[in-house]
Amino acid sequence: MEEPTLRMRKLKVIFPSGRGIIRAVEGVDIDIEKGECVALVGESGCGKSVTSRSIMKLIDSPPALTRVDELYFGGKDIKDFSESEMRKVRGKEMAMIFQDAMEALNPVITCGKQIAEIFLRHHDMDKKEARRETVKALELVGVPEPASRAKNYPHELSGGMRQRVLLAMAFACMPKLILADEPTTSLDVTIQAQVLNELRNLQKSHDVSLLLVTHDLSVVSNLADKVYVMYSGKIVEKASLRQLFEKPHHPYSIGLLNSVPKLSDEESGFEQIPGTVPHPMRKPEGCYFHPRCNHATEKCKKEMPPLSAINDESEVRCWHPRNMEREEAMT
Amino acid sequence: MKKGYVIKRILYSVFILFVVTTLNFFIPRIGVDDPAERYYPPQGNMSDAEYEVIKQLTREEYGFDVSTPEQYLNYLGDVAQGDFGTSFRSGNPAVTGLIADRLPWTLTLSATTLVLGLIGGILFGVFAATKRGRWQDTTLLNMSTIMTALPAFFIALILSFYLGFEFEIFPAYTNPNLVGDFSFSLDGLQMLARNAALPIISMSFGSIIGYAQTTRNAVIAVTNEDYIVTARAKGLPQRSIRYKHTLRNSLLPIVTSLGFSIGGLLGGQVVIEQIFNWHGMGTLFLEANEMNDYPLMMAIMLLLSAFTILAILVTDLVYVLLDPRVTVGEKR
Repeated sequence: MEEPTLRMRKLKVIFPSGRGIIRAVEGVDIDIEKGECVALVGESGCGKSVTSRSIMKLIDSPPALTRVDELYFGGKDIKDFSESEMRKVRGKEMAMIFQDAMEALNPVITCGKQIAEIFLRHHDMDKKEARRETVKALELVGVPEPASRAKNYPHELSGGMRQRVLLAMAFACMPKLILADEPTTSLDVTIQAQVLNELRNLQKSHDVSLLLVTHDLSVVSNLADKVYVMYSGKIVEKASLRQLFEKPHHPYSIGLLNSVPKLSDEESGFEQIPGTVPHPMRKPEGCYFHPRCNHATEKCKKEMPPLSAINDESEVRCWHPRNMEREEAMT
Repeated sequence: MKKGYVIKRILYSVFILFVVTTLNFFIPRIGVDDPAERYYPPQGNMSDAEYEVIKQLTREEYGFDVSTPEQYLNYLGDVAQGDFGTSFRSGNPAVTGLIADRLPWTLTLSATTLVLGLIGGILFGVFAATKRGRWQDTTLLNMSTIMTALPAFFIALILSFYLGFEFEIFPAYTNPNLVGDFSFSLDGLQMLARNAALPIISMSFGSIIGYAQTTRNAVIAVTNEDYIVTARAKGLPQRSIRYKHTLRNSLLPIVTSLGFSIGGLLGGQVVIEQIFNWHGMGTLFLEANEMNDYPLMMAIMLLLSAFTILAILVTDLVYVLLDPRVTVGEKR
């Protein structure tokens, strides 16, 4: 079997602060195969963005402290890579798509120049070649009139176009792995669908691996092959897309799926998970989810369950995994 | 769009200048019944009849024999032609000539202070921002607190005493022969530099620290922006991130503060020039003030306002060059 694009073991990220320690990520393992799309799902503040940025080593230390047992990327051990070694990987072999293109693009530099920077940095190109490649990159992600769009400043473009500029930046060097952090959250629904389509086509046709960080399950169902559900800094369920949507095992995953409104239950509205995510400085003892769980027992209040395999396609971190078909498959 | 903005901005500045000129004409006239009495105060040994004659002559000479609106129009016309009337120091020299004589000396000080302040301030500010929270940064913060409490004239007095009198490193006050002896030769420039050293140093302290603080805050604010993370995620080297992505965005608040600080710089310089007896507009203004030399005072005030208006205009135009987002109607 081919080497995985990413193999990460026991990522831990903590943020010490004056009032205590925030344990943002507590031992997360992630595997991404070549050309695979893996989704990392969870509520705001569960540590999913920190996880994706840590893979690229973009978390500043200080203030954060990061530990990882294993970090293999594209056959290389990048665990101990220095900042300058990482700079050669970033943008070239590993790229990132950020959530809000308005914030993620420099307002005083034209979009074209911001893309061209990548070619100038990672390839032996002069400015003229870089400009030509930039136009090609914009064309690739479906920007109409790419040559003249390249001369525009970010604020002169529409939200969808700006997001495509970010896609163009990510795909510029055809990296092995793209980390997409809520890539379409800031867009309205129709544009969202277009950009996601573009992202999926490019990812599949160029065999690029994708880590999709999102809280939007409809995005997940469109793109992902495998899903990691994250809660309060830990992976609580890891399953194939089909398995998760048809037969989720962790009460939290079930809650997440049920909180998506469906046409069929117009009368009942949609269910929600009671309570809120625990404050990262005051996580409960035992299973972090037990205060919000209907099935919690004494054991759940005392001991954190391990992530254990239930079948070939899923692993779950629960003492009492649910085992029932959901009434209908989600689409 | 951009061109329209520039023209609009220039017209606006001209309008403000007109308003300032109008105020400059009317404010000195508040509470003055008869300007002739200000120009020519009554003398002890003069009869009332004689004084009346003299007052009438004075009015005619200075143009007070016509109605106020007429005087105002005459004033606007004269100012537009660069004629600020005659001073009434002995010999009645033209105000324009007096100012032209002093202006280069004043600008030498202000321009040097400004350039030193900007270069020193930006370098120090960027440095402090990269050492955020460490002692270099804390030093800047403390210095900036101290400088807020220490006016430039106080620093000037201290420097004048220690560097001037005690250790005799620089002249404690300007050599009275400087103006007469100055020439554009090596010796002349050296003499100028030695004499200008203390006034410039006293003013630069505050300037450097002020711009450093603005720069430091701007750089830190920009460093936390998402597009800096994007730049890092592209694998750009530190140097390119700092100069291409961070500094250019950080310059915006610096440019803004620059335009507004020029008025303060010129105002503060009046006192500094007096302390070092510098042959500039500041001393000229204080001399005019002592002698109730209205035409001269009015001209200097107008010129200071004009400089400030010009500085703010230039600031706004530079801003357009630096920030593509600025357009008519949606500024900042």
